[in-house]
Amino acid sequence: MRSRDIAFALLILSILLILAVPTFLGALGSLPPENIRSLARSILGLTFNPYNKSLWTASPEAVAAIIWDYRGLDTLYETMVFYTAIIATLMLYREVLGSRDEVRGRGLSLIVKRGTAIALPAIVVVGLSTVLHGMLTPGGGFQGGAIMAVAPVVALIVFSRSIIEESRLTYAHLVALRSLALLGIVLVPLIPIIVTFGNAFIFQNQAKALYSFTYPSTVLDVPMGGLITFLNIFEGIAVFSAFTLAFTILLYSEKVSRKAVEGEDIGF
Amino acid sequence: MDFRIVLFSTAVMALYINIAISVYGIIAKPNLVKKFIGLTIAQDTMNVMAILIGYRLWRKAIVQPPVLTNWSPTPEDIQEFVTRAVDPLPQALVLTAIVIGLAVNIFLVAAILHLYRHFNTVDMDEISKAKREMIVGETA
Repeated sequence: MRSRDIAFALLILSILLILAVPTFLGALGSLPPENIRSLARSILGLTFNPYNKSLWTASPEAVAAIIWDYRGLDTLYETMVFYTAIIATLMLYREVLGSRDEVRGRGLSLIVKRGTAIALPAIVVVGLSTVLHGMLTPGGGFQGGAIMAVAPVVALIVFSRSIIEESRLTYAHLVALRSLALLGIVLVPLIPIIVTFGNAFIFQNQAKALYSFTYPSTVLDVPMGGLITFLNIFEGIAVFSAFTLAFTILLYSEKVSRKAVEGEDIGF
Repeated sequence: MDFRIVLFSTAVMALYINIAISVYGIIAKPNLVKKFIGLTIAQDTMNVMAILIGYRLWRKAIVQPPVLTNWSPTPEDIQEFVTRAVDPLPQALVLTAIVIGLAVNIFLVAAILHLYRHFNTVDMDEISKAKREMIVGETA
Protein backbone atom coordinates (compact mmCIF):
# COMPACT_ATOMS: atom_id res chain seq x y z
CA MET A 1 0.00 0.00 0.00
CA ARG A 2 3.00 2.29 0.46
CA SER A 3 3.72 2.85 -3.24
CA ARG A 4 0.01 3.41 -3.91
CA ASP A 5 -0.06 6.29 -1.41
CA ILE A 6 3.04 7.86 -2.97
CA ALA A 7 1.48 7.59 -6.43
CA PHE A 8 -1.67 9.36 -5.28
CA ALA A 9 0.32 12.10 -3.50
CA LEU A 10 2.24 12.65 -6.75
CA LEU A 11 -1.05 12.74 -8.66
CA ILE A 12 -2.48 15.46 -6.39
CA LEU A 13 0.73 17.48 -6.60
CA SER A 14 0.90 17.25 -10.39
CA ILE A 15 -2.76 18.31 -10.76
CA LEU A 16 -2.06 21.29 -8.51
CA LEU A 17 1.05 22.27 -10.47
CA ILE A 18 -0.62 21.84 -13.87
CA LEU A 19 -3.45 24.13 -12.76
CA ALA A 20 -1.58 26.66 -10.64
CA VAL A 21 1.53 27.42 -12.71
CA PRO A 22 -0.29 28.67 -15.84
CA THR A 23 -2.78 30.60 -13.67
CA PHE A 24 -0.09 32.59 -11.93
CA LEU A 25 1.78 33.09 -15.22
CA GLY A 26 -1.35 34.86 -16.47
CA ALA A 27 -3.44 32.21 -18.28
CA LEU A 28 -6.68 33.64 -16.85
CA GLY A 29 -5.56 37.24 -17.37
CA SER A 30 -4.78 39.48 -14.44
CA LEU A 31 -6.14 38.22 -11.12
CA PRO A 32 -8.60 39.51 -10.08
CA PRO A 33 -9.87 40.76 -13.45
CA GLU A 34 -10.22 44.54 -13.62
CA ASN A 35 -12.48 44.59 -16.67
CA ILE A 36 -15.18 42.35 -18.05
CA ARG A 37 -15.22 41.01 -21.60
CA SER A 38 -16.71 43.15 -24.37
CA LEU A 39 -19.52 40.60 -24.90
CA ALA A 40 -20.56 40.99 -21.25
CA ARG A 41 -20.37 44.78 -21.60
CA SER A 42 -22.72 44.82 -24.57
CA ILE A 43 -25.17 42.41 -22.92
CA LEU A 44 -25.22 44.51 -19.73
CA GLY A 45 -25.73 47.68 -21.73
CA LEU A 46 -28.52 46.29 -23.92
CA THR A 47 -30.57 44.03 -21.67
CA PHE A 48 -32.75 46.83 -20.24
CA ASN A 49 -32.02 49.71 -22.57
CA PRO A 50 -35.29 51.51 -23.51
CA TYR A 51 -33.32 53.75 -25.90
CA ASN A 52 -32.37 50.84 -28.17
CA LYS A 53 -35.55 48.80 -28.33
CA SER A 54 -34.49 46.68 -31.30
CA LEU A 55 -31.97 44.80 -29.15
CA TRP A 56 -33.36 44.93 -25.62
CA THR A 57 -35.03 42.07 -23.72
CA ALA A 58 -37.15 44.12 -21.26
CA SER A 59 -35.61 42.14 -18.38
CA PRO A 60 -33.59 44.15 -15.83
CA GLU A 61 -31.80 40.95 -14.79
CA ALA A 62 -28.97 40.22 -17.22
CA VAL A 63 -28.64 36.54 -16.28
CA ALA A 64 -32.31 35.78 -17.03
CA ALA A 65 -31.95 37.73 -20.28
CA ILE A 66 -29.00 35.57 -21.35
CA ILE A 67 -30.64 32.33 -20.27
CA TRP A 68 -34.01 32.73 -22.02
CA ASP A 69 -33.36 35.36 -24.68
CA TYR A 70 -29.81 35.88 -25.96
CA ARG A 71 -28.89 32.20 -25.54
CA GLY A 72 -32.40 30.77 -25.36
CA LEU A 73 -31.71 27.76 -27.57
CA ASP A 74 -28.94 26.63 -25.18
CA THR A 75 -31.41 26.57 -22.33
CA LEU A 76 -34.00 24.76 -24.43
CA TYR A 77 -31.52 21.95 -25.08
CA GLU A 78 -30.43 22.01 -21.44
CA THR A 79 -34.06 21.43 -20.48
CA MET A 80 -34.08 18.47 -22.87
CA VAL A 81 -31.01 17.01 -21.16
CA PHE A 82 -32.69 17.49 -17.79
CA TYR A 83 -35.84 15.78 -19.06
CA THR A 84 -33.88 12.86 -20.49
CA ALA A 85 -31.79 12.36 -17.35
CA ILE A 86 -34.94 12.07 -15.23
CA ILE A 87 -36.42 9.66 -17.80
CA ALA A 88 -33.25 7.56 -17.47
CA THR A 89 -33.70 7.51 -13.68
CA LEU A 90 -37.31 6.38 -14.09
CA MET A 91 -36.27 3.65 -16.53
CA LEU A 92 -34.11 2.06 -13.83
CA TYR A 93 -37.35 1.49 -11.90
CA ARG A 94 -39.53 0.52 -14.87
CA GLU A 95 -40.82 -2.63 -13.12
CA VAL A 96 -42.45 -0.74 -10.25
CA LEU A 97 -43.31 2.65 -11.80
CA GLY A 98 -46.69 3.92 -10.64
CA SER A 99 -47.45 0.86 -8.51
CA ARG A 100 -48.84 1.18 -5.00
CA ASP A 101 -46.48 0.72 -2.09
CA GLU A 102 -47.22 -2.44 -0.10
CA VAL A 103 -45.97 -1.09 3.23
CA ARG A 104 -48.54 1.17 4.86
CA GLY A 105 -46.64 3.82 6.79
CA ARG A 106 -48.22 5.92 9.49
CA GLY A 107 -45.91 8.92 9.24
CA LEU A 108 -44.52 10.97 12.10
CA SER A 109 -46.39 12.22 15.19
CA LEU A 110 -49.42 14.49 15.08
CA ILE A 111 -47.42 17.55 16.19
CA VAL A 112 -44.96 17.18 13.30
CA LYS A 113 -47.79 16.57 10.87
CA ARG A 114 -49.70 19.73 11.85
CA GLY A 115 -46.54 21.85 11.91
CA THR A 116 -45.55 20.61 8.45
CA ALA A 117 -49.05 21.18 7.11
CA ILE A 118 -48.76 24.84 8.14
CA ALA A 119 -45.27 25.21 6.66
CA LEU A 120 -45.93 23.48 3.31
CA PRO A 121 -47.96 26.29 1.66
CA ALA A 122 -45.28 28.77 2.74
CA ILE A 123 -42.59 26.71 0.97
CA VAL A 124 -44.67 26.61 -2.22
CA VAL A 125 -45.33 30.37 -2.03
CA VAL A 126 -41.62 31.15 -1.66
CA GLY A 127 -40.91 28.97 -4.70
CA LEU A 128 -43.67 30.62 -6.74
CA SER A 129 -42.39 34.06 -5.80
CA THR A 130 -38.89 33.07 -6.93
CA VAL A 131 -40.30 31.84 -10.25
CA LEU A 132 -42.45 34.91 -10.90
CA HIS A 133 -39.70 37.39 -10.01
CA GLY A 134 -37.12 35.62 -12.18
CA MET A 135 -36.74 38.64 -14.49
CA LEU A 136 -36.43 41.21 -11.67
CA THR A 137 -34.22 39.57 -9.04
CA PRO A 138 -31.82 36.61 -8.99
CA GLY A 139 -33.97 33.52 -9.33
CA GLY A 140 -36.04 31.95 -12.04
CA GLY A 141 -37.72 28.77 -13.12
CA PHE A 142 -35.13 26.28 -12.02
CA GLN A 143 -34.42 27.78 -8.61
CA GLY A 144 -38.10 28.32 -7.84
CA GLY A 145 -38.97 24.82 -9.00
CA ALA A 146 -36.24 23.35 -6.81
CA ILE A 147 -37.58 25.30 -3.79
CA MET A 148 -41.15 24.15 -4.50
CA ALA A 149 -39.99 20.52 -4.81
CA VAL A 150 -38.94 20.63 -1.15
CA ALA A 151 -42.64 20.62 -0.18
CA PRO A 152 -43.55 17.18 -1.62
CA VAL A 153 -40.27 15.67 -0.33
CA VAL A 154 -41.01 16.87 3.22
CA ALA A 155 -44.62 15.72 2.85
CA LEU A 156 -43.48 12.25 1.69
CA ILE A 157 -41.34 11.83 4.79
CA VAL A 158 -43.71 13.35 7.35
CA PHE A 159 -47.05 11.94 6.13
CA SER A 160 -45.49 8.66 4.82
CA ARG A 161 -45.91 7.39 1.28
CA SER A 162 -49.66 6.86 1.61
CA ILE A 163 -50.07 10.59 0.90
CA ILE A 164 -49.40 9.79 -2.78
CA GLU A 165 -52.42 7.48 -2.96
CA GLU A 166 -54.58 9.94 -1.03
CA SER A 167 -53.55 13.11 -2.87
CA ARG A 168 -53.42 13.84 -6.59
CA LEU A 169 -49.61 13.75 -6.81
CA THR A 170 -49.76 10.36 -8.52
CA TYR A 171 -47.19 9.10 -10.99
CA ALA A 172 -49.43 9.56 -14.03
CA HIS A 173 -50.41 13.10 -13.05
CA LEU A 174 -46.80 14.15 -12.47
CA VAL A 175 -45.61 12.71 -15.79
CA ALA A 176 -48.48 14.46 -17.60
CA LEU A 177 -47.71 17.75 -15.83
CA ARG A 178 -44.04 17.47 -16.74
CA SER A 179 -44.72 16.72 -20.38
CA LEU A 180 -47.19 19.62 -20.60
CA ALA A 181 -44.61 21.98 -19.10
CA LEU A 182 -42.00 20.84 -21.62
CA LEU A 183 -44.55 21.30 -24.41
CA GLY A 184 -45.05 24.86 -23.15
CA ILE A 185 -41.30 25.48 -23.19
CA VAL A 186 -41.18 24.30 -26.81
CA LEU A 187 -44.31 26.23 -27.87
CA VAL A 188 -43.49 29.66 -26.37
CA PRO A 189 -40.50 30.27 -28.71
CA LEU A 190 -42.56 29.00 -31.67
CA ILE A 191 -45.63 31.19 -31.03
CA PRO A 192 -44.10 34.29 -32.77
CA ILE A 193 -43.59 32.23 -35.92
CA ILE A 194 -47.05 30.63 -35.78
CA VAL A 195 -48.94 33.87 -35.07
CA THR A 196 -47.22 35.93 -37.79
CA PHE A 197 -47.13 33.10 -40.39
CA GLY A 198 -43.35 32.94 -40.48
CA ASN A 199 -42.55 36.64 -40.14
CA ALA A 200 -40.59 36.30 -36.90
CA PHE A 201 -37.47 34.70 -35.48
CA ILE A 202 -37.53 31.66 -33.23
CA PHE A 203 -37.18 32.84 -29.61
CA GLN A 204 -38.19 36.36 -30.68
CA ASN A 205 -38.93 38.30 -27.53
CA GLN A 206 -39.21 42.01 -28.32
CA ALA A 207 -39.70 43.61 -31.72
CA LYS A 208 -36.59 43.47 -33.92
CA ALA A 209 -35.62 45.70 -36.84
CA LEU A 210 -36.88 43.13 -39.37
CA TYR A 211 -39.94 41.65 -37.69
CA SER A 212 -42.32 43.55 -35.45
CA PHE A 213 -43.82 40.71 -33.35
CA THR A 214 -43.41 41.46 -29.66
CA TYR A 215 -44.30 39.84 -26.37
CA PRO A 216 -45.59 42.33 -23.74
CA SER A 217 -42.69 44.13 -22.06
CA THR A 218 -44.47 45.27 -18.88
CA VAL A 219 -47.27 43.99 -16.69
CA LEU A 220 -48.84 46.60 -14.34
CA ASP A 221 -45.86 48.96 -14.87
CA VAL A 222 -43.38 46.26 -13.81
CA PRO A 223 -40.94 44.94 -16.43
CA MET A 224 -41.81 41.34 -17.27
CA GLY A 225 -39.25 40.52 -19.94
CA GLY A 226 -41.71 39.21 -22.53
CA LEU A 227 -41.35 35.48 -23.03
CA ILE A 228 -38.92 35.17 -20.09
CA THR A 229 -41.83 35.13 -17.62
CA PHE A 230 -43.73 32.39 -19.47
CA LEU A 231 -40.63 30.25 -19.91
CA ASN A 232 -39.75 30.68 -16.22
CA ILE A 233 -43.22 29.50 -15.19
CA PHE A 234 -43.07 26.43 -17.44
CA GLU A 235 -39.52 25.63 -16.35
CA GLY A 236 -40.60 25.92 -12.70
CA ILE A 237 -43.44 23.43 -13.24
CA ALA A 238 -41.14 21.05 -15.14
CA VAL A 239 -38.45 21.11 -12.46
CA PHE A 240 -40.98 20.76 -9.64
CA SER A 241 -42.61 17.72 -11.19
CA ALA A 242 -39.26 16.20 -12.18
CA PHE A 243 -37.83 16.36 -8.66
CA THR A 244 -41.09 15.16 -7.12
CA LEU A 245 -41.08 12.18 -9.51
CA ALA A 246 -37.45 11.34 -8.76
CA PHE A 247 -37.98 11.45 -5.00
CA THR A 248 -41.22 9.44 -5.09
CA ILE A 249 -39.32 6.76 -6.98
CA LEU A 250 -36.24 6.86 -4.73
CA LEU A 251 -38.38 6.73 -1.55
CA TYR A 252 -40.19 3.48 -2.42
CA SER A 253 -40.03 0.98 0.43
CA GLU A 254 -37.23 -1.59 0.25
CA LYS A 255 -39.69 -4.42 -0.51
CA VAL A 256 -40.97 -2.76 -3.69
CA SER A 257 -37.57 -1.44 -4.75
CA ARG A 258 -36.10 -4.96 -4.67
CA LYS A 259 -38.59 -5.93 -7.37
CA ALA A 260 -36.86 -3.49 -9.72
CA VAL A 261 -33.62 -5.50 -9.64
CA GLU A 262 -35.20 -8.98 -9.76
CA GLY A 263 -34.11 -11.17 -12.64
CA GLU A 264 -31.19 -8.93 -13.59
CA ASP A 265 -28.47 -11.43 -12.69
CA ILE A 266 -27.07 -11.28 -16.20
CA GLY A 267 -27.90 -7.65 -16.79
CA PHE A 268 -25.07 -6.10 -14.83
CA MET B 1 0.94 44.01 -2.90
CA ASP B 2 -2.76 44.70 -2.67
CA PHE B 3 -4.53 42.80 0.09
CA ARG B 4 -7.46 41.96 -2.21
CA ILE B 5 -5.13 40.42 -4.81
CA VAL B 6 -3.62 38.20 -2.10
CA LEU B 7 -7.10 37.12 -0.98
CA PHE B 8 -8.18 36.43 -4.56
CA SER B 9 -5.08 34.34 -5.30
CA THR B 10 -5.66 32.39 -2.09
CA ALA B 11 -9.24 31.66 -3.14
CA VAL B 12 -8.10 30.45 -6.57
CA MET B 13 -5.41 28.26 -4.99
CA ALA B 14 -7.94 26.80 -2.49
CA LEU B 15 -10.24 25.89 -5.39
CA TYR B 16 -7.35 24.13 -7.16
CA ILE B 17 -6.60 22.15 -4.00
CA ASN B 18 -10.30 21.25 -3.86
CA ILE B 19 -10.17 19.97 -7.45
CA ALA B 20 -7.07 17.87 -6.72
CA ILE B 21 -8.64 16.34 -3.60
CA SER B 22 -11.88 15.53 -5.41
CA VAL B 23 -9.96 13.85 -8.26
CA TYR B 24 -8.15 11.81 -5.61
CA GLY B 25 -11.50 10.88 -4.07
CA ILE B 26 -12.93 9.79 -7.43
CA ILE B 27 -9.90 7.68 -8.37
CA ALA B 28 -8.63 6.24 -5.11
CA LYS B 29 -11.74 5.40 -3.08
CA PRO B 30 -13.38 2.06 -3.90
CA ASN B 31 -16.64 3.10 -2.23
CA LEU B 32 -19.14 4.31 -4.85
CA VAL B 33 -20.79 6.78 -2.45
CA LYS B 34 -17.40 8.36 -1.72
CA LYS B 35 -16.67 8.51 -5.44
CA PHE B 36 -20.01 10.27 -5.91
CA ILE B 37 -19.23 12.79 -3.14
CA GLY B 38 -15.88 13.50 -4.82
CA LEU B 39 -17.66 14.06 -8.12
CA THR B 40 -20.11 16.57 -6.62
CA ILE B 41 -17.24 18.42 -4.93
CA ALA B 42 -15.47 18.66 -8.29
CA GLN B 43 -18.66 19.94 -9.97
CA ASP B 44 -19.26 22.62 -7.36
CA THR B 45 -15.61 23.71 -7.34
CA MET B 46 -15.60 24.18 -11.09
CA ASN B 47 -18.84 26.17 -10.90
CA VAL B 48 -17.38 28.49 -8.26
CA MET B 49 -14.24 28.78 -10.40
CA ALA B 50 -16.28 29.90 -13.42
CA ILE B 51 -18.17 32.51 -11.39
CA LEU B 52 -14.91 33.77 -9.87
CA ILE B 53 -13.50 34.39 -13.36
CA GLY B 54 -16.50 36.63 -14.10
CA TYR B 55 -15.76 38.72 -11.01
CA ARG B 56 -14.12 42.13 -11.43
CA LEU B 57 -12.11 44.37 -9.16
CA TRP B 58 -13.69 47.82 -9.25
CA ARG B 59 -11.59 50.13 -7.17
CA LYS B 60 -13.80 53.22 -6.98
CA ALA B 61 -16.95 51.61 -5.58
CA ILE B 62 -18.50 48.26 -4.67
CA VAL B 63 -19.14 45.84 -7.55
CA GLN B 64 -22.76 45.12 -8.32
CA PRO B 65 -24.65 41.97 -9.34
CA PRO B 66 -25.81 42.04 -12.99
CA VAL B 67 -29.30 43.21 -12.00
CA LEU B 68 -30.54 46.68 -12.90
CA THR B 69 -32.64 47.94 -9.98
CA ASN B 70 -33.75 51.19 -11.63
CA TRP B 71 -36.68 50.46 -13.95
CA SER B 72 -36.73 53.81 -15.77
CA PRO B 73 -33.01 54.33 -16.35
CA THR B 74 -31.38 57.29 -18.03
CA PRO B 75 -28.48 56.59 -20.44
CA GLU B 76 -26.08 57.61 -17.63
CA ASP B 77 -27.62 55.02 -15.29
CA ILE B 78 -27.09 52.29 -17.90
CA GLN B 79 -23.49 53.44 -18.44
CA GLU B 80 -22.85 53.33 -14.68
CA PHE B 81 -24.44 49.85 -14.52
CA VAL B 82 -22.13 48.60 -17.30
CA THR B 83 -19.04 49.91 -15.54
CA ARG B 84 -19.97 48.48 -12.14
CA ALA B 85 -21.69 45.12 -12.72
CA VAL B 86 -19.87 41.78 -12.80
CA ASP B 87 -19.86 39.51 -15.87
CA PRO B 88 -23.32 37.84 -16.22
CA LEU B 89 -22.20 35.27 -18.80
CA PRO B 90 -20.39 32.80 -16.45
CA GLN B 91 -23.34 32.99 -14.06
CA ALA B 92 -25.76 32.00 -16.82
CA LEU B 93 -23.49 29.15 -17.95
CA VAL B 94 -23.07 27.93 -14.36
CA LEU B 95 -26.83 27.93 -13.90
CA THR B 96 -27.12 25.63 -16.90
CA ALA B 97 -24.30 23.44 -15.59
CA ILE B 98 -25.95 23.13 -12.17
CA VAL B 99 -29.27 22.02 -13.67
CA ILE B 100 -27.68 19.36 -15.84
CA GLY B 101 -25.34 18.30 -13.03
CA LEU B 102 -28.24 17.86 -10.62
CA ALA B 103 -30.22 15.73 -13.07
CA VAL B 104 -27.18 13.55 -13.78
CA ASN B 105 -26.52 13.30 -10.02
CA ILE B 106 -30.04 12.00 -9.43
CA PHE B 107 -29.45 9.37 -12.11
CA LEU B 108 -26.12 8.37 -10.52
CA VAL B 109 -27.71 8.08 -7.07
CA ALA B 110 -30.43 5.84 -8.48
CA ALA B 111 -27.83 3.70 -10.24
CA ILE B 112 -25.74 3.36 -7.06
CA LEU B 113 -28.89 2.40 -5.10
CA HIS B 114 -29.61 -0.25 -7.72
CA LEU B 115 -26.10 -1.64 -7.49
CA TYR B 116 -26.39 -1.76 -3.70
CA ARG B 117 -29.68 -3.65 -3.86
CA HIS B 118 -28.21 -6.05 -6.38
CA PHE B 119 -24.82 -6.80 -4.79
CA ASN B 120 -25.49 -5.75 -1.15
CA THR B 121 -22.34 -3.59 -1.24
CA VAL B 122 -21.19 -0.30 -2.75
CA ASP B 123 -17.51 -1.29 -2.79
CA MET B 124 -16.23 -1.32 -6.39
CA ASP B 125 -13.59 -3.99 -5.65
CA GLU B 126 -16.13 -6.41 -4.18
CA ILE B 127 -18.60 -5.75 -6.99
CA SER B 128 -16.02 -6.56 -9.66
CA LYS B 129 -15.02 -9.68 -7.69
CA ALA B 130 -18.66 -10.81 -7.55
CA LYS B 131 -19.05 -10.14 -11.27
CA ARG B 132 -15.92 -12.16 -12.07
CA GLU B 133 -17.21 -15.09 -10.01
CA MET B 134 -20.56 -14.84 -11.79
CA ILE B 135 -18.93 -14.95 -15.22
CA VAL B 136 -16.72 -17.91 -14.20
CA GLY B 137 -19.78 -19.72 -12.85
CA GLU B 138 -21.70 -19.20 -16.07
CA THR B 139 -18.93 -20.35 -18.40
CA ALA B 140 -18.08 -23.43 -16.30
